[in-house]
Parts: sequence; structure tokens; C-alpha cells
Amino acid sequence: MLLITVSGVALGMASQNAVQSDDVDYWVVPEGGNLNTIAVSTGGPQLGDTHRLTDRLQSDTRVEYATPVLLQVVPVQSSTRNDPEYVLFIGVIVPETSQPVIAGQPTDALQAGDPYFANGTYNGTWTGEAVINPAAADVLNVSAADPIEPVESTPESLHVQSVSDEEFQTGVGVAPIALVHLSELQAMSGSTTDDAADQLLVSTNDPSVRNELASLYPNTTVVTRTGIATQQVSTSSLPVAMAVAALVIAVLIGVLFTATMMGLEVTHDRSALATLTALGYSERSLAVLVVTETMSLAVLGGLLGVGLGVAGILITNAAVAATLDVPSLAVLHPALFGYGFSVALCIGIVAAPYPIWLSRRAEPLEVMRQ
Amino acid sequence: MVPRSTIYHSSSSTNTSTEVDPVVTCTDVSRHFTRGSSHSGWFSRSSQSAEIVTALSNISLSVTRGEFVGLAGPSGSGKSTLLHLLAALDTPSTGSVALAGRQTNTLSTRQRTKLRLDHVGIVFQHFHLLPSLSARANVATPLIELGYSRRQRRQRATELLANVGLDDRVHHTPGELSGGEQQRVAVARALATDPDLVIADEPTGELDTTTGKRVLDVLAAVATDRAVIVASHDPQVLDRVDRVIRLRDGHRQKVDETT
Repeated sequence: MLLITVSGVALGMASQNAVQSDDVDYWVVPEGGNLNTIAVSTGGPQLGDTHRLTDRLQSDTRVEYATPVLLQVVPVQSSTRNDPEYVLFIGVIVPETSQPVIAGQPTDALQAGDPYFANGTYNGTWTGEAVINPAAADVLNVSAADPIEPVESTPESLHVQSVSDEEFQTGVGVAPIALVHLSELQAMSGSTTDDAADQLLVSTNDPSVRNELASLYPNTTVVTRTGIATQQVSTSSLPVAMAVAALVIAVLIGVLFTATMMGLEVTHDRSALATLTALGYSERSLAVLVVTETMSLAVLGGLLGVGLGVAGILITNAAVAATLDVPSLAVLHPALFGYGFSVALCIGIVAAPYPIWLSRRAEPLEVMRQ
Repeated sequence: MVPRSTIYHSSSSTNTSTEVDPVVTCTDVSRHFTRGSSHSGWFSRSSQSAEIVTALSNISLSVTRGEFVGLAGPSGSGKSTLLHLLAALDTPSTGSVALAGRQTNTLSTRQRTKLRLDHVGIVFQHFHLLPSLSARANVATPLIELGYSRRQRRQRATELLANVGLDDRVHHTPGELSGGEQQRVAVARALATDPDLVIADEPTGELDTTTGKRVLDVLAAVATDRAVIVASHDPQVLDRVDRVIRLRDGHRQKVDETT
């Protein structure tokens, strides 16, 4: 239970992740940063000269599309709310040839390309387009075509181009987000000097692109789709520490409990084991009996633990929803079932030698003397 | 009944040749146990001297197929120790025990366990049936180790229970059986592997006279085609056997031939 619940929480925390997009195969991130810094990306290492490098990547026939991603938390006001609300702005360059879904938000409502960034300068056409998710629409109390106003000075105003149907889940619940053009977000956040972005998403079917990506920036990390889960977890020390601590404690307690229970069981069955030995059962056969019993206990414990762990995750989420107004903290990932069950099997294997050793101490002469 | 075995004491040097290959033979067998510790413990500075206790001294006997032999003697006389040696549960300190033609003191524990499985059936005083299993499952227990299929085990166990008059108790657990019925289940279990030698230690010790007689009837019937050795204080048992070997203080006293 402890293992599943804490791992679910750790997974939830670790899944405050990189901006996901359809068919994205590579993420280029600064080496000093990580993929789960959405909410705290301001001030972290960033990529520069992103428009030029994106153009270079787009000209490569192997690349389906590429876009930098700039993440900024911006206080925003609407006409119906006096107090500013904080919204996570995601600036992207909308590909000319496709309209991918980025961070769960469709890009087809935005004009293709990055119109405000014209000829290498920030004096093109200001679109003011923003695609927001339902959470942002809710906190700002706006709908499509309504204006929204960043508190910080911007060259022009923004308006809601559309409200998408998809929420943006983070480890601590749904975040209000707004998808805008990269250059407009750079202008709002003062990132125009270096043409900065936090990540670079690349969609391709050709693995040889990876080398090209690695040569784009010194001191960056290229993460593959398959490696992103590892990257997400491994770059986050707290969830990893929590998960490892839960694993160690679960294994330790599980092994001690299983070994103790089986020790008591074997001691209780000592007479039966001695009888079987007297009747001609070999040590190997008795060991098989004991291991079977130990593994059965471990599997039952695993099933019970996974069940209680699922309940623990649900209770945790219900508790944080009730107390912190956060929809979910822990993630109930299907892999947790296999993980919990595998750990239970390992516990059984590690605990088995002790009852086997005890069973071998059962002397057949004991029952003859009784 | 004329005994088909030779029973002798080594000190008497009055050996008689056997007519049939014996199932079990012990020659000049002694068994010593050490009481106390001869070395210091981890936390003890003083050394305690060990005391050597002789449970059996220079016993020789031979039992062939078809014999029903009783071991008699007061408590501490060495009956159980001799049974353990004959059943390959233990090995002698000196001398030798040959069971089914194999010297038990030259075998490893694993080999002796296999020897018991193949050649020895044991009936315990307190039955030692597995309480969670039915009578049939108890009888079939040794057959699992021999690799019998489930169907073969059930068939054999059912037959054996019928032979001891328990065909209507096949599905009963030991807790649902009387003492006499439990002991007959134990006899059936001892016969499951069709052993050459059946060892019974006080098989009627927990039973009343009538019930004990029924168990003895079963053991006597069993002894027609195998060797049966019974250790007992019970005169009823000793009256039924072919020969009684009387022990006192680990030494053979005499042999009574009752038939």
C-alpha cells in the first residue's frame, strides 16, 4: 500500500512534465534545466536564437515540424475580473504544414508561423491570438473573442481565439494555460533580446536527426520519446527520493513481515515437516513446499497491497481535493499494478531462504520421540 | 509359525544362518548419545564435560519378509532407538544396519531419506496425520514424492483405506476420525509405497483395547508379505507377534517366539 500510494504521488509530482505534443520525437532542453520546470522555468537556462534554428530544422526534409517552446507564468486580467489571475503562457511557432496539438491545445486556431517575428525583428503583425484551456477560461471568466490583458506591459492586447476542450494536467491538478505565438510571448516577457525559449520540440521519423539536434546547441540534452519518462523522473530529485524511499521501506518491511510470518508458520508446522521427512520427503521437496507457501503469501500480500495502494491514491487525491482544492496529486498509472506485484514477488524471493532454513531443522526423530 | 529370520546377540556368538534374504539386518549395533556440551559457549568461560550415554549396545538382529516382530522393554530400554536405526532415521555409532541391502551408515541424509521412501513405512504412536488433509490425501502423501499422478494417488489411497476398513471415511479429516480410525489411516499411509519394512512405534499406545485389536489385525495382515516391527509395552501386541525381542538398558535380554 505504502509503495503504491507513495509511488503514485511521486509519479504525479514527476509528471509535471515537458510540454507534450502530437508526434514529437525529440525534446531539446538546456542541460542545466529539466523537463518538469513548467511552473518555475523563469530564470532557468534557456535556448537562444530559436527562430533561426527552427527555420534551419524546418528546412530539413527529415523533420516534419519543429517549434521552440517558451513557458511563462503571466498575471492576466479580463474585463470581468478585477484581480489578476496567473496563467501559464506557452509560446510556440505554429508549423506551416501541420497543426499539431501542443500541451493538449490545438494550434489550428492560431495563424501559421510567427507573424510578429518578421525578418528577424519583432515588428511584424501582432495577432494577439490565444488558445486557452477550460481552466483558464474559468479563472478568467472569458470565452472566445473576449479580450484578455496581461498585467505587464505588452505592445498590443490579446484576445481569446478559442477555448479548447482539453485540460492541461500537472501533478498537482489542472493548470490554466494559454497557447500563443512565440514572439508575442517573448515580447510580453522581455525575452526578445536573445530570442529565447525553454525547449525545442521536433517531430521526425528519422532517427538520424538526433545528431543534428545535438549539434544545434552546446550544453543541451536531446531527449527521445522513449527516454522522456526516465528523464522526467530522473531529473526530479524529490519524486525519485520519495519513490526510492517507499521502495526500500516496502521491501524491508515486506521481507521482514513475510520472513517472520513464514518463520512462525514453519515453526508451527515443524511436526508436519518432520513427519514428511520421516516418510521420505527430500529437503528439496520440502523447500518447494515452503517456497510455494512463501510466494503465495507474498502474492496475496502484493494483491492486498496493490488494492490498498489504489485506495490510498484515491483517498490521497480526495484529501488534497478537499483541503487544497487540487483535483489530483497522485497518479494511478497502470504500471503501478505490475510494479507492486513485481515488488511483492521479489519480497517473496528474498524472504524465502529463512523459512527454508528453518524447515531443514525439522528432524524426523522429533516426531518419533513425541 | 517358524521364524524365517535369525536373531542373535553378538556377544553370544551363536549365529544361525538365514534361509531368506533379510529385509533389515543390524550387526553389533551400538548407539551413543552425548549429553551436555564439551566445548565452551560464546559467553561461557568454563568448559562442561560431556557425558556419553549408551542407548544401545552390541545389538544384532535380522528380520525377513513375512515376519511380525515385537520389540519390548521398559521405557529407556532402547526400543525406539533401535526402531530409528532399523528405519534409517538414524545411524549407529558402531556396527552396521543393512536395509534392503544397503548399509545405512554409508549413506548421506538424502540417500537415507530416499531409502525410507522406497522401502520403509512408518506408523507413529500419535499418528501424525496432516490435520488439514482428508484421510485419502493423507494416505496419498508419500505417493506425491514418488511422482504418482493425481488419479493414481487417489486410486491407490482409496484401495488402501478400503483394505483397513475405512472406505466410508475417505473424505474425513483426522479431526473427524476416532483414534483407532486415525491409526488405521496411518497404517494405510505407511503401506502406500508398498514398503518392504513397516515400523510401528507404540501403535496401540493411544487406543483402547478393542480399537487396538483392530489396528493389530491390520498390522498382522500386512505382515504376510513384508516385515513388520512393532515397539510396544502392550501385552496384547506382544501376544500377536511372531517373535518378541526384549531389551533392557540397551541390551537384548531374550527372544520369545510366540508361534
